[in-house]
Amino acid sequence: MTFRTRLLISFALAVVGTAALATWVVSAMTRHAFEQADDRRSAALVAQFRREFERRRQELVRSVEAIAAAQGTLEMAIALSRPEPDYAPYVDQAGALATAHGLDLLELVAQDGTIVSSAQWPARFGYQAEWVKEAADGTEAFLKSEELPEETVLAMIAVRRANAGGNDLYVAGGYRLDRDFLGSLVLPAGMRVLLYHNFEPGFSAQALTDAAGPVKGAERLASLIEKVRSERREMSRRIEWPDGPETFQAIPLAGRNGELLGVLLVGSSRRELAALAARIRWAGALAAGFGILLGIGLSYWAAERLTGPVEELARGAREVAAGNWNARVSVASRDELGEMARAFNSMTQELIGQRDRLLQAERVAAWRELARRLAHELKNPLFPLQITIETLQRAKEQAPGEFDEIFRESAATLLAELANLKSIVGRFSDFAKMPAPQLEAVDLNEIVRGAVRLFAAQLRSGERAAIEAEVECDPELGAIQADPEQVTRALHNLILNAIDAMPEGGRLRLRTRRTEAGAQLEVSDSGLGLTKEECERLFTPYYTTKRHGTGLGLAIVQSVVADHRGKISVESEPGRGTTFRIELPAG
Amino acid sequence: MEVREARALEPAAWPMVFETLVELDESGKVRPALAVSWRHDASSKRWQFRLRPNVKFQDGSPLTAEAAAAALGGNGWLSTAAGGEVVVLCDALTRLADFADARRAVFLKGEDGTLTGTGPFRVTQWEARRAMLAAHEECWRGRPFLDGVAMEMGGTAPQRLADLELAKAELVEVGPGEVRRAEQFGAKIWTSSPVILMALKFEPGRPAGDNARLREALALSIDRAAILKVLLQKRGEAAGGLLPQWLSGYAGLFATARDVERARGLAAGAPALALAYDASDGLARMVAERIAVNAREAGIRLAAPSAAGNADVSLARARIAPAVAEQALEGLGAALRLPELLHPASPELEDLYADERAVLEDYWVIPLFHLPEIYGASPRLHAWATPGLLKTGEWRLEDLWLDAEQP
Repeated sequence: MTFRTRLLISFALAVVGTAALATWVVSAMTRHAFEQADDRRSAALVAQFRREFERRRQELVRSVEAIAAAQGTLEMAIALSRPEPDYAPYVDQAGALATAHGLDLLELVAQDGTIVSSAQWPARFGYQAEWVKEAADGTEAFLKSEELPEETVLAMIAVRRANAGGNDLYVAGGYRLDRDFLGSLVLPAGMRVLLYHNFEPGFSAQALTDAAGPVKGAERLASLIEKVRSERREMSRRIEWPDGPETFQAIPLAGRNGELLGVLLVGSSRRELAALAARIRWAGALAAGFGILLGIGLSYWAAERLTGPVEELARGAREVAAGNWNARVSVASRDELGEMARAFNSMTQELIGQRDRLLQAERVAAWRELARRLAHELKNPLFPLQITIETLQRAKEQAPGEFDEIFRESAATLLAELANLKSIVGRFSDFAKMPAPQLEAVDLNEIVRGAVRLFAAQLRSGERAAIEAEVECDPELGAIQADPEQVTRALHNLILNAIDAMPEGGRLRLRTRRTEAGAQLEVSDSGLGLTKEECERLFTPYYTTKRHGTGLGLAIVQSVVADHRGKISVESEPGRGTTFRIELPAG
Repeated sequence: MEVREARALEPAAWPMVFETLVELDESGKVRPALAVSWRHDASSKRWQFRLRPNVKFQDGSPLTAEAAAAALGGNGWLSTAAGGEVVVLCDALTRLADFADARRAVFLKGEDGTLTGTGPFRVTQWEARRAMLAAHEECWRGRPFLDGVAMEMGGTAPQRLADLELAKAELVEVGPGEVRRAEQFGAKIWTSSPVILMALKFEPGRPAGDNARLREALALSIDRAAILKVLLQKRGEAAGGLLPQWLSGYAGLFATARDVERARGLAAGAPALALAYDASDGLARMVAERIAVNAREAGIRLAAPSAAGNADVSLARARIAPAVAEQALEGLGAALRLPELLHPASPELEDLYADERAVLEDYWVIPLFHLPEIYGASPRLHAWATPGLLKTGEWRLEDLWLDAEQP
């Protein structure tokens, strides 16, 4: 993954995270604000409902008081106060009065508690309604469970006395708390009132109704209603409907004696608020999405601006690594990246200067080493030449008789030393004339085995302790493209080096192995080993650790490997032998 | 008026159009009508009547023995004219009062099926709920004071009362609940003897109705006194038997008292009963609702039937006619589809009582009240020789007359 990609991802993640966080914060704050607003609205709606409910209570009380105070009612009270009163003329009276005053329920009850007339259940005349006498002492309307022919209903009841000369006629009027009553309440938009009226244990969905009739999905309110019934206190809960949430304030409805008669649920729809919150959330999400896209675009632009100089620097570094020390980066900015680019350019400039100086120094050192080596190599044959010639001069002057013999021996010496000089000059000449490799398919295993066979006699020479050769060839190695003559020569040089490193004998191990790039060749000895400094200079031409070496053997090996685009490395520790490892490409 | 239309004519109005050979007075005694004398054989199966002279049908044709014989034949009777008299051969013992039955009226049947009687009024127009009667100028009883009578059937009691109050009608049938109001605006109230039996009738074959204990429980749960006092405004009698006291004389032997405790014990665990009544009858509705309240107190649940024909018990009204006990009992038996009487046609009180007791002992029928016919008459309406309404509930409009219209 590129630096630009990572930078882009980092920027994008930062932008997305920031946008998401901002959106969440805004959404949470909006939701909180909406919930507070909804709570206030619900509380206001519930308060408004309570006022409306109270208004209906007062309206009921006024209606009942008006009936009780009416002349006809007083006349009825007087008539019924006589001995053995006749209820028959008044049996329909309650129905007419209830209709006239808009009441659902109305009963006229004699002083002894006998129902004279009943609007809601006309056939109940003559039965007792003792509760009326107790209720007449109160001033407020109250809730009561009222038994009707077909059902038992919840009702709001008010009771008043019509007093006629000390004889009371009770007027008990009321409204049924049913869907019609709920529908008659003047409620603000978004509000509805549900009534749960059930005297049986357990929840009954049929017992829950609103102004439109039975409530769909009433089961969702079951737990709230059951809780209110069990704890007998007001509770509030938010209910999720398919078309939106709704907050319900559940109010227990108690009768005159505190008995629980039902539960009133004042529902405040949160659908509009939820829709508004949803719109805001959507707008926030859209803004966040747009911001994220914009952020990603800007991140891309910024990443490009930031990584352009870095990539330029990387390109320059790669060129420098590839050997092009003249590489330059062209970053014109004046920030840290521009400073870095200028430093890079200065660094490469300085490196070039240092390289030139190093080359110069190395060249001087090489010339010095070459001169030293040449001097050393040439000095050895020159000294015998000088001695031999001086011997001939002294024999000519001091022993003419033996001159011929000495001349002959000296001539032989001179020729031998001259041959030696020629050989030295030839080796230097060969190193200077290393040809380009002629690549062909080569079986490296076969070259290794051939070299072992060639050096077999030398390894077991009686002049030194025997060296044990160990060959380990990878059968899967296959052919590689190489110059067989040069590879053979390099291998011979390494074997010769190993033999020289083991004057006391030892073990020579040759191993080939197939690698991903091509082939690997290892030449290991169990000789004296090399120090770290020796390892670092080992491939320097004309450098040698041997008394009679030219310092060209490993230089030739390195040259061959380099010409084959391979690599050579060495591992060695003093006393633990040395391993040369050559990596050659397959093609 | 055609035959089928005549059957739909208000029974109380029938005698105004069609007459019989003899008729019953208010005490149930037979008196001459179209026949002035009669005789019968020892088996009371062969009757011979001498017709009243100078009687004319409403179309002006004279009443002859042949015409009367043609009308009386059928339904088990053979009738012929012989020597200016009508001879009737009956298939069974027949009483003279049987010839007062409206079903034995004398009429002419025209070729088009129309019927013509001899009564003081003739039908001039007949529609579904409306009939027009005109005075029979040559009626042997004398021409009616009224030139004509317009009758409208149906409507609710409050509507009829409003018509009376607004002078849209001169005579209307009212319920007990409307009597007080009618009197308040000056209407005259004409009341017959209790001639209507209101009773609960169980339907055989219904699982709940077949429960004898439940039937008895329902009978014991009903507070007749409260209903009579309040709903019926004391117009009528609590009924324990089928025939009213004025007709049988033994009605007081049947218990009408309430026993809620016993009813509750009998009704324990009983199923609900479906009670049917005529929804258009306001009085029946109120009585039925009150019965339901009484029953509930005894632990019996009464509900409206789920569908027509599904009623276990129904609140029925049956007219008690004629004013002869054994005939009235037979009429009630037919109207209420009661079992065959043990002593059919027996005029003996012991037999009648035994028959009623047998019919009522299983509580398939629970008599509730004997109700009178009640009419509200306009203050402009006056009766001359006879009241407009007989004790038997029959109309006698021929002797009525009206004050002149106020200018």
